[in-house]
Amino acid sequence: MEAILQAVLSGLALGGIYALVALGFNITNNTTKTLNFGQGEFLVAGAFIGVTLVLVLSGKGHTGVLQPEDVTIVKYLTGLVGIIAVLSALGVFLYYTAVKPFVGAAGLAWVMSTIGFGIIIQNTALGIWGPAPLAMPSPFGNEVIRIGGAGILPQEILIFVVSVLVMVALDLVLLKTKIGKAVRAVAHNKNAAALMGINVPAIVILAFVVSSCLAGLGGLLVAPITTASVFMGLTLALKAFSAAIIGGLDNPRGCILGGFMLGLIESLIGLWHAELREISIFVLIIVVLVVKPEGLLGRRIAEKV
Amino acid sequence: MSFARRPFIAALAALPFVFAAFSASAQDIKIGYNSDQSGGGAAEHGLSGLYGVQAALEDINKAGGVLGRKIVLINRDDTGQPPKSIQNMNELIDSEKVAAVIGPTNTGNALAWLHLPQQKKIPVISHVATGTDITKRYEKEAKNYIFRVSMVDREQVALLVAYAVKASKTKKIALIADSTGYGQGGVKDATEILKLHGLTPVANEKFQPKDTDMTSQLSKVKTSGADVLVVYALADANAHLMKSMEKMAYFPVTLGSWANLATPFVNIAGKKLAENLIFAASVTETSNERAKALNARILAKEKNLPIFVCAAQGYDSMVILAAAIKKAGSIDGEKIRDALEAIDGVQGIIKMYNNPFSKTDHEGLGVADFRLAKWKDGKVVDFEDAIAKSLTAADLKK
Repeated sequence: MEAILQAVLSGLALGGIYALVALGFNITNNTTKTLNFGQGEFLVAGAFIGVTLVLVLSGKGHTGVLQPEDVTIVKYLTGLVGIIAVLSALGVFLYYTAVKPFVGAAGLAWVMSTIGFGIIIQNTALGIWGPAPLAMPSPFGNEVIRIGGAGILPQEILIFVVSVLVMVALDLVLLKTKIGKAVRAVAHNKNAAALMGINVPAIVILAFVVSSCLAGLGGLLVAPITTASVFMGLTLALKAFSAAIIGGLDNPRGCILGGFMLGLIESLIGLWHAELREISIFVLIIVVLVVKPEGLLGRRIAEKV
Repeated sequence: MSFARRPFIAALAALPFVFAAFSASAQDIKIGYNSDQSGGGAAEHGLSGLYGVQAALEDINKAGGVLGRKIVLINRDDTGQPPKSIQNMNELIDSEKVAAVIGPTNTGNALAWLHLPQQKKIPVISHVATGTDITKRYEKEAKNYIFRVSMVDREQVALLVAYAVKASKTKKIALIADSTGYGQGGVKDATEILKLHGLTPVANEKFQPKDTDMTSQLSKVKTSGADVLVVYALADANAHLMKSMEKMAYFPVTLGSWANLATPFVNIAGKKLAENLIFAASVTETSNERAKALNARILAKEKNLPIFVCAAQGYDSMVILAAAIKKAGSIDGEKIRDALEAIDGVQGIIKMYNNPFSKTDHEGLGVADFRLAKWKDGKVVDFEDAIAKSLTAADLKK
């Protein structure tokens, strides 16, 4: 019983990250029908910028070693502000260089160009910070919190809470505000939206900015758990993309659901046979794609001719 | 015009001096150093090893060098990449004409180029890489050019299992490892050695090298009733394992390989949690007076020395090589190789090397030279308890 509870807690913590990154996929997919396949590397950029800002604020070099007392909540939030600034700029840059030229064009040029953009970010990070992972203690300490015999780290609770909050906030913005209406209109039909006086390019850029910032936020949140490593992006992005596919790429709630499902499957299967984790996830993806291709919460769109 | 010509004339005038400088260095004995100094997780090992080799060279050259000649080090960084490591080896042997090579840090890189020195008759001392195969590949040849002064996977597992068997009250020992060749190689060795002790592991769990939560696997270990756990994985994964143990408040006696000497282990796990793992090492900076002195000496020069053990093994590799060149009376690779199998009484940092190598045994260090160590307050120290002290040669089955 204790083991299952522990697996559930660990799974929710892991799933929160997948969910956050999956949301980023959802936003650009809904507005431009493109995805940033460099999302994982944006997460890497977020993690390193966050850790570096905390290091600099603590008076250490950009590859120093952080002690638990160096990481305060104020510094951590300053890191977040820095990440939003840099990642927003990166998102705009990505859109103009690697997405806009190919939107609407036949073929999948944007797949390659966004992957390429990600690789450029990754190698830039490699050049600046080197291959060694940077450890960052959590601003909320490393004391394990016990829930019915199972343990969870404060940072893991933070990830869970933030991912749920972000989901709720996005949901509210999309459904209750004017800008949300505009985003939905662009997602539904770009030309009609433009005719209705909606500034479509601005909405699309906003989508890329939000998507990049979510990846950056993900990076800052996972850094205290996984350490900031140049190579961590690909695995996380692949899992997040899987989560989006399972839950429904066009539905933000589906992406969140997919993320948590994946995290739970990973840790629960681990209780049984750890080496079957990846197999079970991808078997699930295939089953979902066969039975409900639009994802569990996705909307089936009837193509009208 | 004269403006442009002047540097040219100056260069011409300097030429004889340049030649003089080159001819002087032609007298020097060149030793190659090929290891990861900037790439992946092994960069710390490569750099620390380099500091040790440099310290040894300083001592050797201060005492007049070998055969009346100075020894110089030709350093190459392989960034952890096998292709780069092969290229370095070709350069060192063919262009630089080194007499011997010390390196590399990664077992995979060693296995990628071992045929080069073997064919070109250049002796190699592996000062970091631990793969059991490295010295074994050319064992059956008339002359094996590959030697080692480092930990060996099989030998360190022998020590860990010997301790595990004595420390376990229930005789229930579990294994956990990453899914790579490194981890699974360790599991294979540990399973075989446990068998020699008449035991089989009660649990055998795997995780991915990049996993950060091992609570599920640990739950199974816990259910198996194991009171001792042997882990074979790299430093960062081991640190996450310790964090998962803390979540479950489950701390069996945990033993690991020397990979835990690397600083990511203590940086990720934190100083306190890092103290819960006991691991194998050939020496620590507190093991003996020579080690203390070398550690202090390198720290006075370099801003940090991440892995002292590698520096000590680098130092010893270099003094052993110098002793062999002296005995061979030549810098011919084949003669140095023969001399390596014949040298005796070479004082190193880790120990006094009495006949370290023979025709059949190219391992300078073995399980008898290894000790247990642990992190204490952010530093590696010798670990000694009643069980460790009671281990005898008969316990160290391999």
